[in-house]
Amino acid sequence: MALKFLVVDDSVTMRRIVANSLKTIGYDAFVEAGDGREALSKLSGDDSINFIITDWNMPDVSGLELVKSIRSNDKLCKIPILMVTTRGLKDDIVEALQAKVNNYIVKPFTPQILREKIDQILASA
Amino acid sequence: MGQQLNMEQVFQKLGDLKSFFVFGQKVVPVIQKIIDFMRDVVPLLENVNNSIHDSTSKIPKAATQIKNVTNANEIATSEILDIVDSMSLDLTKIRTELADLKNGFFSQRVALEKFGSEFKNLNGQFDALKSGMSIDELENKVTSLESIVDKIGNDSTNITISLQVQDITAQQLASVNHLIQSVQKRLASLLFDLGKQSGVSIPEFDIEEENKDKSFNEDARYDRSQEKQVFVDSIVNENKKTSQEEIDKLFAR
Repeated sequence: MALKFLVVDDSVTMRRIVANSLKTIGYDAFVEAGDGREALSKLSGDDSINFIITDWNMPDVSGLELVKSIRSNDKLCKIPILMVTTRGLKDDIVEALQAKVNNYIVKPFTPQILREKIDQILASA
Repeated sequence: MGQQLNMEQVFQKLGDLKSFFVFGQKVVPVIQKIIDFMRDVVPLLENVNNSIHDSTSKIPKAATQIKNVTNANEIATSEILDIVDSMSLDLTKIRTELADLKNGFFSQRVALEKFGSEFKNLNGQFDALKSGMSIDELENKVTSLESIVDKIGNDSTNITISLQVQDITAQQLASVNHLIQSVQKRLASLLFDLGKQSGVSIPEFDIEEENKDKSFNEDARYDRSQEKQVFVDSIVNENKKTSQEEIDKLFAR
C-alpha cells in the first residue's frame, strides 16, 4: 500500500526536515499542516492520507489534542500516528501513549530513526 | 475651700502639661526622623515607579527582538535547507552519471573481449590496447568518486539533522519570551496600582500574543546523543508489553 503522510508541525523548518527525511527513506507523498486544526481540515478533505506524523507543541490545537480528536473519530481512528516532539519526559510519553499514538520520536531525530519507527508501526498494523 | 480645689486642679493640669511637653521633647526628634525618612524615601519611591514604568515599556521591545531573532534564524535555516536540497539534487545527478560511466566501462570491457576473441593474432597488440584503455583504473576512480559522493550525501543529511536545532532554540526563545511577558504582566499590575495614585500611563500588554506563544516546550534541549530516544523506546516497549499482557489476560478468561 502506498503511503501518503500528513506532516503536522508549526515550524516550517521542521516540516521541511521531516519531508526531506521521508524523501531520504523513500517516501515522497505527503501533505503538510501548521497545527492541529489545519491537520483536521486536511484529513477531512483528503481520504488518501494514511499516516500522520505530528509535533506536540503547536498553537491553537496541539498535537495531543489532534491525536485525541482523530482517535475519537470513527472515520479517522485507524490512521497510524507517529509523534515527533522535543518532549522527552516519562509523563509526556505515557500521556501520548494513553492518547493512542502508535510510536514516539524525540527531536532531534535521524532519517534512520524515522524509518525504524514507520517500519515498526507498519509491521504491527 | 473651693478656690483651694481649683488651684490644685490648675497645678495638676500644669503637671499634665509639663509631662506633655517632656513627652513632646522626646517625641519631636522621632517625628523629625520620620519626616527626614519620608523626604528620603519619596524620591526613591518615585525613582522605583519610574524604573518600573521604564522597564515595563522596554519589555515589549525585548519580546519583539527575541521574536525577530527566531524569525531570522528560521529564514537562515530555510536558506541552508535550500542549499542542502540543491546539493542533494546535484548528488543524485552525479550518482546517475557515475552509474552511467560504470555501465560504459562494462560495455567497453564486453566489446574488448569480443574484439579479442575475434582477432586472435594481433601479436600482443590487443593486450597493449587493453592496458592503454585503463578501464580497471578508471573504474576504480569512479568507485572512489561514488564513495566521496556518498560521504557528501551523509554530510548533507547530518546538516539537516543539525538544523533541527532551529526548532529547539525557537522553543527555548519562546519560553524566555513567555517569562518576560509574565514579568511584564506583574509589573503592569504594579504600575496599575501606583498609577491609581499618580496617574501614570500603563503600557499595553498583549494577552493574545502571550497565549499564542504557549506552543512551546520550555524543557526543549538539543541533544544528538541517542540516549533520549533509547529512554523513549524503553517506555514505549514497556507500555506495549503491558497492553499485550492485558489483551492476553482478556483472551485467557
